[in-house]
Amino acid sequence: MLKKVTANSKPRSSFNNGKFMPKSSVKKGNPKIEEDFFPKIVAFCCNWCTYGAADLAGTSKFTMPPSISVVKVMCSSRVDPVQVLESFLRGADGVLIAGCHPGDCHYDNGNYYTRRRFALLNEVVQSLGLENDRLQLSWISASEAKKYQQTVTDFTEKIKKLGRNPLWVKSEI
Amino acid sequence: MKERIGIFLCECGPNIAEKIDLDKVKEALEHLPNVVIVARHKLFCSLQGKEFLKESIKENNLTRFVIAACSPKQHELTFMIVAEDAGMNPHLFQMANIREQCAWIIEDKDEATKKAILYIKAAYKRVIYHESLDKKEIVANPDVLVIGGGIAGIEASLALAGPDRKVYLIEKTESLGGKIKEFDEVFISFKNGQSIIDERLERIEKEDNIETRLQAEVIDVKGFLGNFIVIVKTGDSEEKIQVGAIIVAIGFELINLSQLKGYGSLDCDDIYTGLEFEKMKKEGKITTKSGSVPKSVGIIHCIGRNEVGYCSGVCCLSSIKFSKYIQDKLPGTNIFEFYRDLTLPDKAYQKFYENIENKGVNFIQADDIKIANEKGLKIKYNKNKSTQPVDMIILSPAYVPAKDSNSLAEMLRIPRDDSGFFTEEHPKLAPVNTSAEGIFIIGCAQGPKSIKDSISQAHAAAGKILASIIPGKKLEPEVRISYINEAFCIGCQKCLNTCNYGAIYFDNLKFISIVNEVLCHGCGNCIASCNSSAIQLKHFKDIQMHQEIIEILR
Amino acid sequence: MENNILVIGAGITGIEASILLANAGKHVYLVEKSPIIGGNIIKFEHVFPNFECATCLVSPRQQEVLQNSNIELLLLSEVKKVTGKPGAFSVKIKKQARYVDMENCIGCGACYDVCPVKIPNEYEENLMQRFAIYVPYSGSLPNVPAIDTENCIRFAGEECNACQESCMFEAINYDEKDEELDLKVDAIIVSTGFQQHKPVAKYGWGTIDDVYNAFEFERIFASNGPTTGEIKKKDGSEPKSIAIIHCVGRDENKYCSAVCCINSLKFIHYLKEKIEDIKITNFYRDLCLPGKKYDKFAGDMKSLGTDFIRSDDIEISSGDKSILVNYMNGDAKKQLPADMVILSSSIEPQKDNNDLAKVLGIELDSFGFFQESDPDFGTETSTRDGIYIAGCAQAPKDIQNCVTQAQSAVEKALFQFNLK
Ligand SMILES: Cc1cc2nc3c(=O)[nH]c(=O)nc-3n(C[C@H](O)[C@H](O)[C@H](O)COP(=O)(O)OP(=O)(O)OC[C@H]3O[C@@H](n4cnc5c(N)ncnc54)[C@H](O)[C@@H]3O)c2cc1C
Ligand code: SF4
Ligand code: SF4
Ligand code: SF4
Ligand code: FES
Repeated sequence: MLKKVTANSKPRSSFNNGKFMPKSSVKKGNPKIEEDFFPKIVAFCCNWCTYGAADLAGTSKFTMPPSISVVKVMCSSRVDPVQVLESFLRGADGVLIAGCHPGDCHYDNGNYYTRRRFALLNEVVQSLGLENDRLQLSWISASEAKKYQQTVTDFTEKIKKLGRNPLWVKSEI
Repeated sequence: MKERIGIFLCECGPNIAEKIDLDKVKEALEHLPNVVIVARHKLFCSLQGKEFLKESIKENNLTRFVIAACSPKQHELTFMIVAEDAGMNPHLFQMANIREQCAWIIEDKDEATKKAILYIKAAYKRVIYHESLDKKEIVANPDVLVIGGGIAGIEASLALAGPDRKVYLIEKTESLGGKIKEFDEVFISFKNGQSIIDERLERIEKEDNIETRLQAEVIDVKGFLGNFIVIVKTGDSEEKIQVGAIIVAIGFELINLSQLKGYGSLDCDDIYTGLEFEKMKKEGKITTKSGSVPKSVGIIHCIGRNEVGYCSGVCCLSSIKFSKYIQDKLPGTNIFEFYRDLTLPDKAYQKFYENIENKGVNFIQADDIKIANEKGLKIKYNKNKSTQPVDMIILSPAYVPAKDSNSLAEMLRIPRDDSGFFTEEHPKLAPVNTSAEGIFIIGCAQGPKSIKDSISQAHAAAGKILASIIPGKKLEPEVRISYINEAFCIGCQKCLNTCNYGAIYFDNLKFISIVNEVLCHGCGNCIASCNSSAIQLKHFKDIQMHQEIIEILR
Repeated sequence: MENNILVIGAGITGIEASILLANAGKHVYLVEKSPIIGGNIIKFEHVFPNFECATCLVSPRQQEVLQNSNIELLLLSEVKKVTGKPGAFSVKIKKQARYVDMENCIGCGACYDVCPVKIPNEYEENLMQRFAIYVPYSGSLPNVPAIDTENCIRFAGEECNACQESCMFEAINYDEKDEELDLKVDAIIVSTGFQQHKPVAKYGWGTIDDVYNAFEFERIFASNGPTTGEIKKKDGSEPKSIAIIHCVGRDENKYCSAVCCINSLKFIHYLKEKIEDIKITNFYRDLCLPGKKYDKFAGDMKSLGTDFIRSDDIEISSGDKSILVNYMNGDAKKQLPADMVILSSSIEPQKDNNDLAKVLGIELDSFGFFQESDPDFGTETSTRDGIYIAGCAQAPKDIQNCVTQAQSAVEKALFQFNLK
């Protein structure tokens, strides 16, 4: 049965020291040298799915950009739009809301509320003069450590391209 | 009292110590207001580590503390126990996850160190607003109300009744037993339904702690887990019954044939539904209306399956059982079973089917079945390509929810599926619970199923009740739950529908909404639904989230 | 006053039973053969019909088992002898040494990389490798490795202490000994689950490349599995067409496993999620979809785009460019090429049920599942008083029914003590 070890299923320990790091992730070295802007991102993660994925990404030693700051909530539906707006006003360059896949919410239907609030928030965010891309909603289950890493990394890249949160720049002057 | 806050840094062996400059971290934290100690340890979760933590809390008279270590999923409980051991409320600390979220994922040591400081400061700011949350104890009534006296309701009642627990069994008709008392034989044990019921009725008779109400109906339900108040109407009299839990076992009905189109003439003589045929068998003679013995019988599965949109899961088996009835009673009869997909979902079923088939029943896989009454009954199938004349037809119609499902659902505030059956709390992990705590659904009320599965569910609900509402013991609900600030609530009631658990109720006198401590699961969904910021989730209060956000964005 | 209950097998059924008993204030010994808890369900990425992530579903329960002080978890353990009667069983347990201290180990994984032994990981259906000191899956619980002495070279007499050296927590102790424990319990719940059927030769499993059984495919799809979730053929290319064969093993076992059809339909979703334009063909006999949810589920899956062929006598052979599915459709003999084949193989009794039944003094049915006292009215009671059976150890069934039986068995055990 050993023959079934396929080319892409190299033997690896469960903890593979980032060997599986996707190409798009931030390279080694000080990011500040590549770009002088280093984004600040708030990631609201629900306790039951995405926070678990973040944990598994940690134990799997998947490297990630330090841009993300995780705020744990019991359910993604605990994320009050007020907190998202507050994050932007306090200088967050991006906000990620992440929870269980639709249908998977530990409290049954919380994430449907999250989805609806997200849709509304998108409009508010725009009216503040912020790009829609600065706010992202992702569904990441507890076993999807790789997806967590990918999401965090890609979102960071995206925010880097967008540059600094204009509201924050303003308030700095 | 002045706050005395401790900050503890776990090295986690080399795991954190090598990736984060803990000396730097310590330096950054030492001068924070009210911080009286910043200490590190090689491994806080070890026996020595826990002891060290406990002693530090005591020696320094800490009022709160932060521990920067691994994921709270791993060790929050560990440290809660330490806090309690040290004589502190276990909710007065906060973990900062600097292992999974710094040490193990950030390559650059400086960056990781900076990040760790941010996380710890955020935790420090947050912990200042933690409250001591005390365990609540709620007296629960151990008695149980069972609605529906079919086999599921009977089994649940017998399993629950005892010296310390009364069961009220409410049945709408004039007798207990539900459908199975009509079945001469039940698959797959082939026992007689009536004697199964009689045996149990005898036990109910002897059990002082089961109170049966026949020809009775539930007309009102108030309250919640541990404390329900139910109004039951028997004949003209109404009585108030207090229980701690409710089991709904109202069973099912067969789909009304007059609703079905596309099967041809379903209302001719000598066409029987499964239940009608069971009666006929019980009475002991299988004859056509004219009194003659049928020479050929057609049994049609899946009647109404497309209309209801699900497979009832039992009809294939009961249809095969009808073949057995006929073979036993009238050997030599030609039997034709028209099936769509043979559904035999248990270890014992296939053998039963094979036995019956081997004895000469014709199993015909057929689609598009129509019944015609042209010089006798004819079954046409596969788009009229084939025809089978028969003397008698037995239909296996789909199971549909019992009539009262709708009104009961409203009364109990429990949801129903698209199919109309009551919805379980979780399709995998909580099949007999509902989203309303303390209300259970069993048997065909939850969805179509066999006797064996109905009985398993009856005992499952009983098991859940025996394990949670123990006579003489109080309920200890979750403490990290929501509460509504009376001064802020404007009584708009928006939050009421948001809560999946029906945990918020409206106080008509005070004109404000109130969170029921027993029912709240602490998800926090209701908070965003309140325009007045009246709702707060303990341990995740706005101020705590706010402080955390400010700090991590520094 | 305290009652002790022995639960054998820590799959979803055993976990549910243990937690419920613990909540009822009983002391539970949860005995599990493998080094981890969770059973078969943790092999799956998603479970039907709602595509819930299996890890998310069970990990809170697993944590509860690990943290509940009423549950004493005995891993790498087997029941060797049972004597006595209900209310007073004496049980002898053999607990193999783990060689890694559960208290001291923090699960950092430093010890794996230094281990010189590499062998196929049977938990990953041998699709990837593991070391002699290992945790079965990434993320499995408890996250503490065990040393597999059959493969560790030190236990074969060679000089190696690489893992011990690498462990900063002094968690590894080569001198740990196997233990024998004597327990007194009042009741026993058997929830040892099932094993997957090994497809017979005509299905080409193990001989033709890219023919996988259901578990193998689950692992290939799993984001913590050998390909981290990418569906690929052995040569690394993406399959363009796939055949899903239902009812594999049904003829040999002579029963329907009740879940494989629905599970096969779940694979349609798996496949379409990853490879949008993949051509999927389901070879089925009768679509078995019992219950209020599954017709709708099947409809949803069908709408993703898949062919259904009612077929018999399936044989898999290898063709020039692809795999060939040979089948009978009515009376016609037909053939269909496919790049990959998934065999939906059936649920089978554990091979050691026989031994366990002897130890427990209970009976097996003709298939090798544990025999219930009555097939309609007592599916959770075994043929011996005080011993209860639940989950797929009793008969094949889905998770919902496993959990139901677990709760039911608990009720019966509690009933025994008249704790109403
Ligand atoms: C023709 C046929 C043959 C079958 N043969 C078999 C078989 O051989 N083997 C097998 O395993 N399964 C068989 N089944 C399935 C079996 O009938 C069910 O699994 C089983 O009866 C379900 O039991 P229950 O208690 O959930 O529901 P029911 O038997 O329907 O009992 C429900 C009870 O609740 C009462 N009730 C309803 N509404 C209310 C209310 N509002 N308030 C108070 N009381 C109320 C009803 O009067 C009834 O007494 C068969 C089904 C059919 C249709
Ligand atoms: S939404 Fe807020 S204001 Fe409205 S009733 Fe609920 S708590 Fe009161
Ligand atoms: S926190 Fe969740 S469970 Fe509690 S009242 Fe609010 S919505 Fe309901
Ligand atoms: S045994 Fe030691 S090295 Fe291995 S995982 Fe446990 S703590 Fe880490
Ligand atoms: S618990 Fe994860 S989104 Fe609700």
